Amino acid sequence: GWATPRPQGPLADSISTCKVLVVGAGGIGCELLKNLVLTGFKNIEVIDLDTIDVSNLNRQFLFQKKHVGKSKAQVAKESALQFCPSANITAYHDSIMNPEYNVEFFRKFMLVMNALDNRAARNHVNRMCLAADIPLIESGTAGYLGQVTVIKKGMTECYECQPKPAQKTFPGCTIRNTPSEPIHCIVWAKYLFNQLFGEEDADQEVSPDTADPEAAWNPEETAARATASDKDGDIKRVSTKEWARSTGYDSVKLFNKLFKDDIMYLLTMDKLWKKRKAPTPLDWHQLENSGMLSASPGLKDQQVLDVWGYCQLFQHSVETLRSQLQEKGEGAELVWDKDDPPAMDFVTAAANLRMHIFSMNMKSRFDVKSMAGNIIPAIATTNAVIAGLIVLEGLKILSGELESCRTIFLNKCPNLRKKLLVPCVLDPPSANCYVCASKPEVTVKLNVHKTMVLTLQDKIVKERFGMVAPDVQIEDGKGTILISSEEGETEGNNNKFLSDFGIRNGSRLQADDFLQDYTLLINVLHVEDLERDVEFEVVGEAPDKAPPPQTNQEEVNSITNGNKDSAQPSTSSKAVRRDLVLCQKLSSQADRCAQQISPE
Amino acid sequence: MIEKEDPVISEEEAAQYDRQIRLWGLDAQKRLRGSRVLLAGLGGLGAEVAKNLILAGVKGLTLLDHEQVSEESCRAQFLVPVTAQGQNRAKASLERAQNLNPMVKVHADPDRIEDKPDDFFLQFDAVCLTGCSRDLMIRVDQLCSKHNIKVFCGDVYGYYGYMFCNLGQAHNYVEEKPKVVKPSGESNDGPKAKKAKVDPNETTMVKKTASFCTLKEALAVDWTSEKAKAGLKRTPVDYFLLQVLLKFRTDKGRDPDPQSFPEDSQLLRQIRDDVLESLSLNSDLLNDDFISYCFSEMSPVCAVVGGVLGQEVVKRLTVFSR
Repeated sequence: GWATPRPQGPLADSISTCKVLVVGAGGIGCELLKNLVLTGFKNIEVIDLDTIDVSNLNRQFLFQKKHVGKSKAQVAKESALQFCPSANITAYHDSIMNPEYNVEFFRKFMLVMNALDNRAARNHVNRMCLAADIPLIESGTAGYLGQVTVIKKGMTECYECQPKPAQKTFPGCTIRNTPSEPIHCIVWAKYLFNQLFGEEDADQEVSPDTADPEAAWNPEETAARATASDKDGDIKRVSTKEWARSTGYDSVKLFNKLFKDDIMYLLTMDKLWKKRKAPTPLDWHQLENSGMLSASPGLKDQQVLDVWGYCQLFQHSVETLRSQLQEKGEGAELVWDKDDPPAMDFVTAAANLRMHIFSMNMKSRFDVKSMAGNIIPAIATTNAVIAGLIVLEGLKILSGELESCRTIFLNKCPNLRKKLLVPCVLDPPSANCYVCASKPEVTVKLNVHKTMVLTLQDKIVKERFGMVAPDVQIEDGKGTILISSEEGETEGNNNKFLSDFGIRNGSRLQADDFLQDYTLLINVLHVEDLERDVEFEVVGEAPDKAPPPQTNQEEVNSITNGNKDSAQPSTSSKAVRRDLVLCQKLSSQADRCAQQISPE
Repeated sequence: MIEKEDPVISEEEAAQYDRQIRLWGLDAQKRLRGSRVLLAGLGGLGAEVAKNLILAGVKGLTLLDHEQVSEESCRAQFLVPVTAQGQNRAKASLERAQNLNPMVKVHADPDRIEDKPDDFFLQFDAVCLTGCSRDLMIRVDQLCSKHNIKVFCGDVYGYYGYMFCNLGQAHNYVEEKPKVVKPSGESNDGPKAKKAKVDPNETTMVKKTASFCTLKEALAVDWTSEKAKAGLKRTPVDYFLLQVLLKFRTDKGRDPDPQSFPEDSQLLRQIRDDVLESLSLNSDLLNDDFISYCFSEMSPVCAVVGGVLGQEVVKRLTVFSR
């Protein structure tokens, strides 16, 4: 704080009169609110859609145990007011992506500070701040590492100027046929959860993949397998959920199909096992007889059970989830949540059983939860440092000293120059940024005969290009509307293919998000074949799975975390998409700082 | 030194500390849980360190501060209620500090640290001093490092801050280092294969020993020596600023006060000249600019210094030391 009398001058006046927005009231948000209030900011608005969880209490210090379940934004406001009762704090228990928070809303503020944990929201706020031309302070933390940067339209790079690599995905056949790492089994178990209890997704198949090209002795065989015989067709035609329902979600029947029959089927695809260790099927009744009770002292979550232990956990969780489904009624679907014990138990059990089948050491619930839930370890001190830096950058902005703003990296240990905090000069906007360039444009490779309008909407325009409520029209002279943000208007187009609308190689699509005030021109590059499991590719970027290409002058390392689920909080029924991007740049320019993150 | 009364972490602790256990592991958390820490000074920086240590889950934290809550104190830190004016600062901070984490034993002590006998300090595993005089810090530093008690010091002056730590003459610790893969005898992979490679994914734990200098030594560098002169260029000018501010504190019994800005600025200038002269250093080594930026404890600076200092304490308390 400032001891009285407060320093005179325009900065002090700015601080006490300006309105600022804090997006997120979690780890960084709590620390940030405290700093803002103690520094003398009087008009603060804070927004967060999440509620308080016990695992937040090791660092989100504005919350106590008695607040678990309550709105983060609301409780954060109440606690912060205690430090300065005369401060004017408005709390919104809401998503910043709600259309209510339009450009008008953002224009109220002199400064916006992100305290987020997912990319979708960051992309969105980035665009809103560009549209409203308000400076944005972006930040992130993961474990001991942290980063702060300033985004100002026309002056600096925007959040999306540098393409951030998409999260790692695994090929379908690795998940379905030839897992080699625990994570493959965990992803499979999550897919299985959705197939049995949740929303069935064609991209989340769990049954053996007969069309696996590795399984074929020659290319013609792959094609033959793909068209599937009657016997295979049975497995495919009946959905996993329907089949499970037909057995009454009988856990032993489920077990034997997934962990015995399907494995035995995989064994018949002998080419897969020529150079790999073959899986060994499990038999429920055999295991039942040999099973031992092994209870060790210590934390339950840290224990690794034996196979029979996971059989029992599988059975128990299936039964609990079955009841949950029944309670919800006809057509009900569950959404996987790492904080929902039976859901977590189910994935722990199923993943471990599969790991055992594929000769991998089984893992504790603690470890499975880390991977399945994309948990990023977090501590109070990293957030405290970063939040302090955010305010210091904010003061520079309010003083009109934007040129002195920096990107600052927080290391785990001092670097070669003995620096823990490393500042880097901000880069100017990227000329061909598909968000902040004056007429943003991209080229997308896809097969116009095989890509559905729904895929264009959900996977490309929304997920890949971050639009929330897009309108897409074809630049065909007629302005044909392909996708409308108005609900229901273009639903009929969803399952049609792009070629049905005359879209072909060289076609141009105009995608708009009215809320974000963002227009993107998409050039269509038609190709017959793409990589396996890849539906589209953005030209000028490396494919999703590989890291971005490295140039001489810049090396971009990023640490990302996240899953394919949409940005929802962990305490609601959907899984949170944690995405923290920390970028380091190594540059040979003398006025930049060399930075390394070393394990030391 | 660190107690191991209860080796088992409870389910309640596991749930609350989950996200940090996933970072530094269960063993580290257990060691924290057995650590007793003394924190002197509950100003802006002290409050930040208190928060960080309490959230981390130490066994006990003693808040030691003889000062009274003033009007500024309420605005300077977040543990003191706005209604607590006139109360002892440590006692006024106690309730909110305790509420940060009921599993930590937080204790408030209103005594002057100068009045504490030697054995008072010996009950702690780590001692963290903020807002203390140079002489007091030197005395405590000397006493504690003799008894293998970890010493940390820190202060914030406006936009400036520092931290110091002394872990003794023979501090044993374990460090994670990337594994060096020695080349095999075969040469069919070509000349490159003969070089030892570092595998960034594989790490190994290496035992090391470090020797720390005392605070007295750190503050009493002889800048006239050849060695020191050579190191002068690489020494941040803030080191000399620290000397000035510590002298101010000794002479005035307080830190620069915005309410006495003109007189204190004058005194700071004078002390700067005196200090640099006594060190046989050029008077333009530290120019006047610092004066406008070293008054009162700036909240975001306390957050940064408090975060770094707090994490250093946690790290040293959890390090495997035999």
